[in-house]
Amino acid sequence: MINNILSFLIFLPIILSIPILFFKAGKDKLIKTYTIAVTIVVFILSIILYFGFDASKSDFQFVEKVQWVTDFNIFYFLGVDGISLLLILLTTLIFPVTILAVWNSITTRTKEFYFLLLILEGSLIGVFLSLDLILFYVFWELILIPMYFIIGIWGGKNKYYATVKFFLYTMFGSLLMLVAIIWLANYATPMIGKFTTDYTELRKVSIFMPLNIQMWMFIFFGLSFAIKVPMFPFHTWLPDAHTEAPTAGSVILAAVLLKMGTYGLLRFSIGLFPLTFVRFAVPIAILGVIGIIYGALLCIAQKDMKKLVAYSSVSHMGFIVLALAGMTVESVQGGLIQMVNHGLSTGALFLFVGFIYDRRHTREIADYGGLTKIIPIFASLFLVVCLSSIGLPGLNGFVGEFMILAGSFASPNLHNNIYTILGTIGIVLSAVYLLWMYQRVMLGPVENEANRNVPDLNKREIISIIPILLFIVWIGVYPNTFLSKSEASVKRVIENVEAAKKNILNIY
Amino acid sequence: MLTQQILDGLSKFYPETILSVTILVIVFVELFFKKKTRVSGWIAMAGLAAAMLFTFLQVNIPAQTIFFQMVAVDPFSYFFKVLLILSGFLIVLFTFLSDEIRSSEFKTQEYYALLIALTLGGFLMASSVNLLMMYLALELSSLSSYVLAGYFKKSNRSSEAALKYVIYGGVSSGLMLFGISLIYGICGSLDMFAISAYLSANPVNLITLLIAIFLMLAGFGYKISAVPFHFWTPDVYEGSPMPVTALLSVSSKAAGFAMLIRFFLVAFQNAGHPTITTEGLHQYITLPGLHWPEVIAVIAVATMTLGNVVAIWQDNLKRLLAYSSIAQAGYMLLAFVVVSPQGISAMLTYLAVYLFMNLGAFFAAILISNKYKTENIEEMKGIGYRSPLLCVSMAVFMLSLSGIPMTAGFIGKFYIFSALINNGYIWLAIIGLMNSVVSLYYYIKILKNMFLIRPQGDTGAVSFGAGYSVLLLALAIPTIVLGIFFGPLTKFAEYSVQIFGLK
Amino acid sequence: MNYYEIIFYVFAVLTVVSAGVVVFSRNIIYSAFALLFTFTGVAGIYVLLNADFIAITQLLIYVGGIMILLIFGVMLTTNVTNVEITTQTLKALPATIVVAIVSALLVSTMVSTKWAVKDPISVESTTINQIGELLLTKYLLPFEIASIVLLIAMMGAAFLARKN
Repeated sequence: MINNILSFLIFLPIILSIPILFFKAGKDKLIKTYTIAVTIVVFILSIILYFGFDASKSDFQFVEKVQWVTDFNIFYFLGVDGISLLLILLTTLIFPVTILAVWNSITTRTKEFYFLLLILEGSLIGVFLSLDLILFYVFWELILIPMYFIIGIWGGKNKYYATVKFFLYTMFGSLLMLVAIIWLANYATPMIGKFTTDYTELRKVSIFMPLNIQMWMFIFFGLSFAIKVPMFPFHTWLPDAHTEAPTAGSVILAAVLLKMGTYGLLRFSIGLFPLTFVRFAVPIAILGVIGIIYGALLCIAQKDMKKLVAYSSVSHMGFIVLALAGMTVESVQGGLIQMVNHGLSTGALFLFVGFIYDRRHTREIADYGGLTKIIPIFASLFLVVCLSSIGLPGLNGFVGEFMILAGSFASPNLHNNIYTILGTIGIVLSAVYLLWMYQRVMLGPVENEANRNVPDLNKREIISIIPILLFIVWIGVYPNTFLSKSEASVKRVIENVEAAKKNILNIY
Repeated sequence: MLTQQILDGLSKFYPETILSVTILVIVFVELFFKKKTRVSGWIAMAGLAAAMLFTFLQVNIPAQTIFFQMVAVDPFSYFFKVLLILSGFLIVLFTFLSDEIRSSEFKTQEYYALLIALTLGGFLMASSVNLLMMYLALELSSLSSYVLAGYFKKSNRSSEAALKYVIYGGVSSGLMLFGISLIYGICGSLDMFAISAYLSANPVNLITLLIAIFLMLAGFGYKISAVPFHFWTPDVYEGSPMPVTALLSVSSKAAGFAMLIRFFLVAFQNAGHPTITTEGLHQYITLPGLHWPEVIAVIAVATMTLGNVVAIWQDNLKRLLAYSSIAQAGYMLLAFVVVSPQGISAMLTYLAVYLFMNLGAFFAAILISNKYKTENIEEMKGIGYRSPLLCVSMAVFMLSLSGIPMTAGFIGKFYIFSALINNGYIWLAIIGLMNSVVSLYYYIKILKNMFLIRPQGDTGAVSFGAGYSVLLLALAIPTIVLGIFFGPLTKFAEYSVQIFGLK
Repeated sequence: MNYYEIIFYVFAVLTVVSAGVVVFSRNIIYSAFALLFTFTGVAGIYVLLNADFIAITQLLIYVGGIMILLIFGVMLTTNVTNVEITTQTLKALPATIVVAIVSALLVSTMVSTKWAVKDPISVESTTINQIGELLLTKYLLPFEIASIVLLIAMMGAAFLARKN
């Protein structure tokens, strides 16, 4: 079992989703309990994986490799390293938390909803574990289908527009990636001696390809990741999808789906084309910084809480992009931990917006005010999450942002520290928009009488949010629990980049 | 000696002979039934089954030509025969299950005979190695499809469809005949191998040859509904009875592709000298100066772009599927640009996959029109909740047609684009993939109406008989399974690339 | 120019001119009759090519059979003769340009192509024997398939014309 733990992680939720379809309609409670039990089992599995993972090794561990397509040497190839380990933990944590938190929000077609959620979880884990490009692509696309239905069936007013936009945007990117995958494998054929889409094999030869060809492949891969992240200027699908999705959808979208983009950049763009990434580091950093500042400015202008949180994602993801562009061990480690942080705090922000929406059915900031007195528990926990998102020292956001800024400040790849300096403006702005929102919603006199009778968080909601808060504090106080696991793998990535720079630049 | 040769040919011609006999038997048996009957349908199925059996017996016959170089018996034609029989079989079942045909007041007598005739025509199209034979085969399949398209005589739409089909078909086959005569004029033979031998040995006027190729393409393009010979497609698909539409979109198209591939590869390649490249692959060589792959590339791009872009605006499911099938032809033509065994086997793989997903989509459309009496997509709101099995299967077919992974359509596209990229046609691959994005828009529009919008008015569940469900699953399950285990299919396609004379 | 060529051009002109009348005449009866001359002209060309059997067949079947049927059809559907068949000229300019280009192309290829001309061969007094032999040997399959094509065409026509 321990040898096949990765397959279990992927297929347990997918296979166990099928019984849901045979439950009697109307047995909502049973369905929910069943789903949450499955996700908790998956979470436990990922904890076992965490303890079984040897942090001193930078290689892929728990590798499973079976030939899938013989004539193309496509493999069912799974493996985990420090980078994917953290993201797996994040994914498996977010799912049970979300399901518990939105326990009563889904009232129609419950069966289908939880079925799709489990499929989504399995394929997300698949994305982070695949080491064969085609397998990766398959999972990558598979995610679209449950997500399409989740937003489309249970979404808000403009859900059709949002789903189509989301679907077409991502599909556009991923098809370019498919071209790049085939092209890469094909170009590598004479170098390896066979056509294969095995990532570990391709990684060895891809750096020796002509730079202009690398550049195109890099762009095709990068575009699809950039859309997913989303990097400015490909971010326009995100606010629509976020705003229209049901709370659970937004949480998963923000917490995990966006990480697919940054994970892809780190694993494939940097892993396969280190040198090209170095060449493009500055433009990427610029896009990242634009994302940070532009996203933050948009946040300030928002009147809708959910939109505000959605745009804050654009801003926060900008930091991670900047971190990757910096390409030093500190910045990439920071970026990685920031991926987790963003998942936790933005996920939690969406949950809070969902809580309040369930009570009042409005997300307009102007409809609220003075809630602190009415719902004190909500107010205090919400404050913690806001502060975590801003990056208050002692909470998780600070660790990530600090490492990113410190790491990219001195990065040899960016040649200039202006990007870092501009990035810090984003932190200031994030304090502005989040605290301002908090002030308008929570503080001051109660102006809207409808808010008088809003009930506070109930036990279920508090329990659901506690794990997130726990990790927010944990990472803020002792990030080493997680950083130590990823250090060796990140170092190896950076070493590869440096080695490529040295070797290849000597050749040219 | 001659008799010996004819008898020998006959012994390798059983499938076709059986189909011919089936036609006669159906016509004869129908004389005894005054009312509508399914008997002829069962006879048609029996005939197809027998033909299938004898086709299977041909699997190990060495590739050769029979009847004095008129038709070839080779793995390539074998592949298409299997495909055509499978499709014919499914269409007979569709006909049984279609309320549209059941409720029409016409007797079914000619229907099944014509269906078998179309299949026979397809058989011959796939195996002809002589232009005369090819033309006859084309006419056989066209004539039967004209009548099938106009099968509802009292429906204006159906009659209009038949008339349009006849006129376009007549013009295209006339152009093709002119092309054949030009080629005969240049090479002095109708035999594809003789043409190839003549072309590789003698200098010819390439402009004349190119004109001839264009004219031939009119015939092929009309069969596979490639731009600019596609104008009939939407109207005919919309007006014909649904099972006939399904038949035209798969059998006719597959046979057209078979003919196209064989004609170009055998007649316009240095057939005698296939060279071997460094990777150990056989490479077909084009005549120097004759840029027909480029012509095909332009047609392919135009076909898929037009099909996809126009499909976006369609509200009628049949018209939408018509444009989608135009676009699908474009993808398949893309692979032909490569002119290598890899490209051809990708085409064959795609065709096999297309059989399941497209027939599936049409069958789902038949069931929708049976139960909901509509072909309009806007009127299909929320039916996903009323008949889940039907609509989930439809979703599978739609996703497969758009090429989402884990469906057979993805494998088809994957092989096509691999072939393109492998041969350096990266931009062509990108255009093709961008087209897939466009196509996704209208495929998910159907899903949107089925699943994302709540049903209005009547919301009761609408279920089907077991037979319908079984057939639906028989199409949906291969569409998914072939997306995961496709080894045997691609092996079969690779094996079938052996065209007689070209290995 | 020898007699042979003169006769050829007479038949050729007859064929082309009457074909033109078929297309351009506004009266369907005139068109039908003009078609008669087209078929006859083609038959004459077959004779010149020494294809005696085909020439006779052309006369018997097309001129004698199909033409008569066609004219019967036109006559019997009297409504058609009274209807003003408006064949308006639409988009004359683009059509002219396309036609000009296509015909220029065709003429130029006709002139410039080296056609595969068979050497003259001595023929027996009639070609019937050879045709018969070929139809049952080399062209056996096309011959048989043609019969199926005709059968299908007949069935289809009967089906469409029948009053159910």
